[in-house]
Amino acid sequence: MATAIFDVNKRWSEVYPELGTAPVPTEPCISAEYFALEGEKVFRKVWLYVGRQEEIPNPGDYMVRDLKAWRTSVIFVRGRDGKIRGFHNICSHRGNKLAWDEAGSCRAFSCKFHSWTYDTEGKLIGVPDEEYFHNFDKTDNGLVPVATELWEGFLFAHVDPQPSQSLDDYLGEFGQRLSGFPYGDLTARYAYKTELKCNWKVALDAFSEGYHVNTIHGQSYPDTFTGKNNPMCHLPEVRFYGPHRSCIVYGNPNHKPSPAAAIAYRFGESVTKRSGSQDQLPPEVNPTRSAEFGFDLGVIFPNLVLHILPGMWFTHQFWPLAVDRTLWEGRAYWPPARTPGERFAQEFNNVVLRNAWLEDTATMEATQEALSSGVKTHFNLQDQEILIRHSYKVLEDYVGFYPVNSNT
Amino acid sequence: MGTSLLPTPFADLDVFAASWSLGTQRERENKRAASSAGELKTMYEVLLPRLDAMLEHLDQYALDKLPADAQRLFYVTLSFAEIAPFVECYNGEPKVRHSFEERRLIAVHGERRGQRGRAQWLMWTSNNSRREFSA
Repeated sequence: MATAIFDVNKRWSEVYPELGTAPVPTEPCISAEYFALEGEKVFRKVWLYVGRQEEIPNPGDYMVRDLKAWRTSVIFVRGRDGKIRGFHNICSHRGNKLAWDEAGSCRAFSCKFHSWTYDTEGKLIGVPDEEYFHNFDKTDNGLVPVATELWEGFLFAHVDPQPSQSLDDYLGEFGQRLSGFPYGDLTARYAYKTELKCNWKVALDAFSEGYHVNTIHGQSYPDTFTGKNNPMCHLPEVRFYGPHRSCIVYGNPNHKPSPAAAIAYRFGESVTKRSGSQDQLPPEVNPTRSAEFGFDLGVIFPNLVLHILPGMWFTHQFWPLAVDRTLWEGRAYWPPARTPGERFAQEFNNVVLRNAWLEDTATMEATQEALSSGVKTHFNLQDQEILIRHSYKVLEDYVGFYPVNSNT
Repeated sequence: MGTSLLPTPFADLDVFAASWSLGTQRERENKRAASSAGELKTMYEVLLPRLDAMLEHLDQYALDKLPADAQRLFYVTLSFAEIAPFVECYNGEPKVRHSFEERRLIAVHGERRGQRGRAQWLMWTSNNSRREFSA
């Protein structure tokens, strides 16, 4: 069957000359001042992905996320009207934490200090001995909201309850590019997490290029994302959408499965078999439907990497905890397995994926330690690492740490 | 129907049912990490040629309606999924080479038995998600 062949020899710095070619400073990964500015000027100013709508499917279902980047804990709860809302997890009386479980289902939230009670829409509905408060009105003392909006079943939150930009506007054309994929049908989730002793960008950068594939994944994925026509995992497509960015990662159509992988292919889906129909892909993703398509890698600024491919999708998210500490969450989503054979195939794929993530995370803490020494002041970025270049450029546009026109 | 732990066609593999019929990914990971290269290679070589037949046998049942002996066989196939990449990619070594400390990488789903589709996923998410959302 004829298939579109990707051009994998583009020079991305020629396509996007505005991003330059100079080495990039390491300072944003080790500077406490830079880290503080990121919190104020990025994480408190943009929409952040916090979970899938399927995690709280029924009225009264809630989940609590400890959002260190906002210095707060937030309750996300589905109201009786079916709408998901977000509230700071803090009682209006004397500031006690309201919800202590990390998820659950309830009709109302009752504070364990003095039993102040709030409904799932954040309204204060019960105050014991209320008449002994002074000039007090319950309607003025509901939970403090954060803004929440859904995109394709992805729940985003903004710490400003009245953000100047809607989620749709924030995602812009990037949201359109990735709309229409059957995220809501692929709900069998396998989730990993760990706390990494590195800056969140050291972790993000490691998942933002294909240049590492031959070295780090030489054993786990030996011929999957490289091939005769593309031995160095060059990117067939790179696109920027304001602060967001995306690339296509090459997939070798002549990849030879291992004996166990071949059995998994016969019984179910696979990352490497790419067995799902390309019709699942949004029209703007791999528009020629090339068989050399591996997966689409999109970064929703600042901290979510979303990968889609026929048959499954997976995410990485990086939560800054301190300048040198990051919560990493990796999640893979498959169609709910109908048969034991399909479940076996998913298990095999997830084991290989987990092993690859163990390889990906191997370098990060040592890198942070080395960067902290200050011996190397700049990263040397290759042409194919242009997503990293874009990442630091966009971040600095928000942060404004360096004087304008400086030549760092 | 004899005294085998496994369905009759696989009764000769009882030794694997006794040690590798493990219902959660956490248990399978721990067992693999504590095994020797020789043990993993032997298991791989014995099970690989039988795996198609095992999965075909299992696929006559719905995922959530496996008889007890087939359930044990199913968990053995999941254990095979756990160990096979270590034989195929790392010469049987029970650890990924040049990797992050595996014990620090938490499989949030790793305590669950099986995964039977949307209804179960949702039930699990809302009832038992303490581990899932701890940040």
